[in-house]
Amino acid sequence: MAVAYPCECPDADAILACALAHDVDRAFEQLVIAYRVRIVTFVARMLHDDARAEDVAQDVFVRAYRALQTYSAERRSELRLRSWLFAIAHNLTRNVFRDAPPLAEPLEYSDGAPRAELLAPEPGPEQLALREEAWKSVDEAIARLTPALRSAFVLRYVDDLPYDEIAQTLGQPVGTVKASAHRGLLAVRAQLEKNDG
Amino acid sequence: MADLHDYGAATRRSVASDFTTKIFVGIGLDRYAEATSALGEVYVAWSARGVSAVRLAGDEAAFEAWYRERFACGCVPAVEDDEIVAAARAKLWGQDVEVPLDLRACSEFEQRVLRRASEIGHGHARSYGWLAREAGAPEAKRAVGNALGANPVPLLIPCHRVIRADNSVGGYVFGSEAKRKLLEREGVDFAALAEVARRGFRYIGCDDGSFCLPTCGGPCGLVAQHLDDDSGYFGLHSLEEAHAHGLVPCKQCRPVAA
Repeated sequence: MAVAYPCECPDADAILACALAHDVDRAFEQLVIAYRVRIVTFVARMLHDDARAEDVAQDVFVRAYRALQTYSAERRSELRLRSWLFAIAHNLTRNVFRDAPPLAEPLEYSDGAPRAELLAPEPGPEQLALREEAWKSVDEAIARLTPALRSAFVLRYVDDLPYDEIAQTLGQPVGTVKASAHRGLLAVRAQLEKNDG
Repeated sequence: MADLHDYGAATRRSVASDFTTKIFVGIGLDRYAEATSALGEVYVAWSARGVSAVRLAGDEAAFEAWYRERFACGCVPAVEDDEIVAAARAKLWGQDVEVPLDLRACSEFEQRVLRRASEIGHGHARSYGWLAREAGAPEAKRAVGNALGANPVPLLIPCHRVIRADNSVGGYVFGSEAKRKLLEREGVDFAALAEVARRGFRYIGCDDGSFCLPTCGGPCGLVAQHLDDDSGYFGLHSLEEAHAHGLVPCKQCRPVAA
């Protein structure tokens, strides 16, 4: 149904923020639909655990709802929803980490170039199985990053968030975030090279 | 880093169909959607447990206020269907599907009556007394009527199929006229029932050796207009008469207590 919101809305997130400012209860499902896949995927990568990802992601949205209820309409309308939601997801996955540390020995960064097949622009059908393997090794490499490097790396290089939003998400200065993302990238490349060798 | 973007897109996770429904449990809100029924557009509200309410559509604000009053829980318009409301839509369209129901606002007795009423099939009708007997409370006809009146999910639980012993339709949440129309559309022939009653028949016997209530929707029921042909059906004034013919009670309409 069409509902007019009393504001100028330049993009989808701004429209959603306006809708939430207008009526949290009625707009909330749209927020879930807009972000559920991204949040589940982010949580799955951060935890390296698909089985728990849905539960944790549901908790992210429940916490988001409770927070929205406490905000004024003005604050809701000004929310940058993406970094705000990712921040809740990041905090929750960090708590999960505290309860159960990652399995793999964390890597320190070193220099290296990415695997050749990861750079291949157009895979033939026979290469798809190879790619599946490649994705798995990326998963593994990401799982070996320390939580601090992992969140910055995933948000920058996988979820493609700009640095200022990552800084908001992680509550860190832009410089720190840039350094962490870069160190993560180098470590992932090094790990992939090691797999190749 | 085109490679990692590909990785991101290729390894995106999917979410289960009840992902959103579970979040709504977490935040304590139910949702509702409009659906088409034999009575026109209705609102179908549901929780993770199942469908909690069916009401005639029209006034969202009034429905939401009624819902909050009845269930002590907010209810907002849904954006997406999940499996629960999809099943409800199919059933309201006349398909024979199982719909999970959430009868949390009903007492244990009401639930017992409603569950039993939900087994009354399309084309059948039963009396309040019959349902009281089947629900294990033969003296509680009035309480049974109240339980049906409190049915939060009319149409999905077909409380309209329970009528008075004199074949008048009795009350209905959407009005007696709607109840009569629903029953007629399902094949209940009120003129025939009146004729059976006028002639003093309480049961219908059949050549196959069984006997039914006149309101049975099976092949042997609702045939009052044929009682005088060679249809193989005949009127019975009493249980004794049925027994004298050596007839056994129909398993569908269970004219006598088991």
